[in-house]
Amino acid sequence: MPFSELDTAAVARTLSQIAEKPDDVVDAFFERREEAELPPEDEGPGLRVRREEGFAIRLSREGHTWLASRDNVDAKPFAEALRQVARALPSATYPEPAFRMPPFEPDPRAAAELVGIPEALARAVRSHHVGFPSRLTVRRHRRWVQVVGPRLVAGQETETFYSLQAETTWGGHGAIHPRLDANALEGFAASLVHLFRARQASSPEPFRGNAILAPAAVAVLLHEAVAHALEADVLAQGGNPEAAVGVSMAASSVDVLDDPAAAPTGVRRATDDEGSAVFRRWLLRGGVVEQPLADLLWARTSPVFVPGAGRRATRHLPPGPRSSHLEMLRGDATDDDMLSDADGGLYLQEASRGALYPLSGEFRLHLPFARRIRRGALSDTVGPCVLRGRVADLLTRVTAVGREARPAGAGWCAKGGQKMPVWATAPTLRLEGVEIVPDEGGQA
Amino acid sequence: MTTPGLTKITLAAPLLDEVMVALMRRGMPDVEVFAKRGRSRRLEITPHTNSSVFSQEQGWAVRAGDPRRSFFAAGTGEPLPGWPWPEATGRPLRLPEPSTVSETAPWSDPSELDAPLVGEREGLKLLESLGRELATELPGARLLRAALEDGSSESEVVNSRGVRARTRARLATLHLEAAGPGRSSASVYLSAREARRFHPTALARRLADRLAVSAQGAPPDREHGELLLAPPIVARLLCGLLPMLVGPRAGTLLAGLRDRRGRIGSEQLTLIDNGRLSGGALEAPVDGEGVPTREIVLVEEGVFQQPLLTWWQAESHPGMGTASGCTARPGWRDLPAAGPTHLFLKPDPRIPVASLLGSMSQGYYLIDATGGGRFDLGAGTFALPVCGFAVEAGRASAPVARAWLCGGIGDFLQGIAGVGRDLTFQPLAGMIGAPTLLVSGLELRG
Repeated sequence: MPFSELDTAAVARTLSQIAEKPDDVVDAFFERREEAELPPEDEGPGLRVRREEGFAIRLSREGHTWLASRDNVDAKPFAEALRQVARALPSATYPEPAFRMPPFEPDPRAAAELVGIPEALARAVRSHHVGFPSRLTVRRHRRWVQVVGPRLVAGQETETFYSLQAETTWGGHGAIHPRLDANALEGFAASLVHLFRARQASSPEPFRGNAILAPAAVAVLLHEAVAHALEADVLAQGGNPEAAVGVSMAASSVDVLDDPAAAPTGVRRATDDEGSAVFRRWLLRGGVVEQPLADLLWARTSPVFVPGAGRRATRHLPPGPRSSHLEMLRGDATDDDMLSDADGGLYLQEASRGALYPLSGEFRLHLPFARRIRRGALSDTVGPCVLRGRVADLLTRVTAVGREARPAGAGWCAKGGQKMPVWATAPTLRLEGVEIVPDEGGQA
Repeated sequence: MTTPGLTKITLAAPLLDEVMVALMRRGMPDVEVFAKRGRSRRLEITPHTNSSVFSQEQGWAVRAGDPRRSFFAAGTGEPLPGWPWPEATGRPLRLPEPSTVSETAPWSDPSELDAPLVGEREGLKLLESLGRELATELPGARLLRAALEDGSSESEVVNSRGVRARTRARLATLHLEAAGPGRSSASVYLSAREARRFHPTALARRLADRLAVSAQGAPPDREHGELLLAPPIVARLLCGLLPMLVGPRAGTLLAGLRDRRGRIGSEQLTLIDNGRLSGGALEAPVDGEGVPTREIVLVEEGVFQQPLLTWWQAESHPGMGTASGCTARPGWRDLPAAGPTHLFLKPDPRIPVASLLGSMSQGYYLIDATGGGRFDLGAGTFALPVCGFAVEAGRASAPVARAWLCGGIGDFLQGIAGVGRDLTFQPLAGMIGAPTLLVSGLELRG
């Protein structure tokens, strides 16, 4: 563990010197990360390894944040950064805590683990009796985080996960997985095969009716329409963010939580990127907003907000409220029940992306393909389309929740230019009276 | 051997050489070591918070291999000869030589490179004044988020073929998100050599126009008249057409657009890429591999001259055109990748935008793109979401929103009837620049 020998007590003592006021938020964020990448076969050079480490010191006071960051972990740059964020110059020079960071240990498994994936995936695709050329990029992401405050020192956090990105002549597809086992590869291959088979399908005519969303599509829906909509900073764009609490924004069968501690092994967290303990946060209970996503700074603005959802993509940017692992509680409907009650509708298996427009409350879920539902079964495939509506209206249209919730990596989120992985566990959903239109490829 | 005029000072050259030699001793004859360090100040304001971030970044990257295989490694801090290098599993590496692309002109660093970064108070003042100006331009409008970043960097590259180059860069970016009446919203993303080049009044006016159009505009009926396209729209169109302009496949993709005279566009169409464009945000003497930059004319008065080619593309496709330093390397984490530097449509310095507008009897003045759009290069068609104004007798008559600019790529290029003088660059794939264009032959629909 890279930060095991970090003298956190000395760092905490040093930080306490710049926390002059009782409400000051001061912390030091140390991170080390590694990305091993296997590019497509036709690209050189081969295995690519990126390793980085650094830290940031932050002082937040009365709505203003000062942050100084560096790309190495050492005493001198630490003291420099401390001086840059301090608001009052002390009479004495700040002490320089001693830093002993072990070198990056090469992981001999990295190459072996990644090199076999393209062939394994090709086999998985062939097992569906199809074959097509694709360019596959496989990455393993590892990250270690240590947050130190003047009074509290959080435990060290570690994350490991994988990402796959395939490019084909008819489009691209990406996914994140906590493990690259046979199930993950089969799931990715099945998605590619679905996309391949749907590549020439025409978009459906504009339509209002029933839709069934499979867990992978629900994961993106939850991320955009629930998580982003209930981030304290997004709520604040429309006025008083506290006012959201108690508002009914979904059908009573909709219960959604953010629980980083229940995320898949490898990306599970006990604390967030500010060192606050995470907890099982009920975003929607019975369709009613209970606990929006907040970080330390938003939690200072109101007792309604509880910290524990502060995330940052890099040491060079301040943290903000963001979800980690969304969980929608399962209901009691079987897949057969849902299909039989959605005749004439569309089955939405996957979403390629989603977007929330906070000011208008409009929401769009882009679907690379869909299946028509006829006589309680899936029939012909239609091409790219968009599920759209207003968040407050869309989620009230949930009429059935599946009885089995499955892990479904929601994907990469890039809000505010900070790209980070988000995870989800979700059941199948049926919505009634929703609007689906052809995907025009942009927003007019 | 040294790339001419580029080795006055070195950042970490001895260390880079040490790493290069260590890898060559391990049986890797092809080695490139790249190092970059930079510092930046980032200021952001929202209605509830503001932040001031000062970052110092330092990293390096190594590409190395032999005639059969290669690897890429990158990290923070300084490179070390004894780093735990990954296994070489990739294709053989090709590296440029000092003679690969000749130097076209002597280089001297622009003076702005030495200007200090924007100060905290100065930057926050700029953002706050933007908010005030916006509220003045359009009552009820407000900034949701404004982020200003001003940074400088120095980078150095050495390779085992003898290339040694060092460059300095300066870049500021500004990202604005605003809300207006009727829940309208608009955003702007800009870049310039330094933060002091951003003018709050002009930017506030641009945002206010977008918000007003978005709030009051209606989709048009299907229209085929004259269209005046503002620089952000033309830049988006050029960005969508980049596969037709960059790389060895460009000529093939353009082949179907040639008319009987062999032209792909009107005589008003001249497209240039120039990594040394004076005053350009990315102005530099060399690219990410240490290859000298230069001006290349891609299309001249409607006639396709050559695609934009890197040294390795030009070597693999003899006779296709002249190579230039056009491999971008935004940071130490990135591999060099072919792409435009400052790619722009040549303006006509004699034509003010007002005269183009005044020449329109009836049509539309489209001021901004509201999304990325879609481009089907195989079918030669595009559709871009836009907003703007209807024009009658040379004057804006009604706002237009939720509209799509649609048509054939060939119709767009051949239909350019007038070119303004207001060349403006957008940070898209590299810096893509265009003046206002008067175009016919396209369709505007709701």
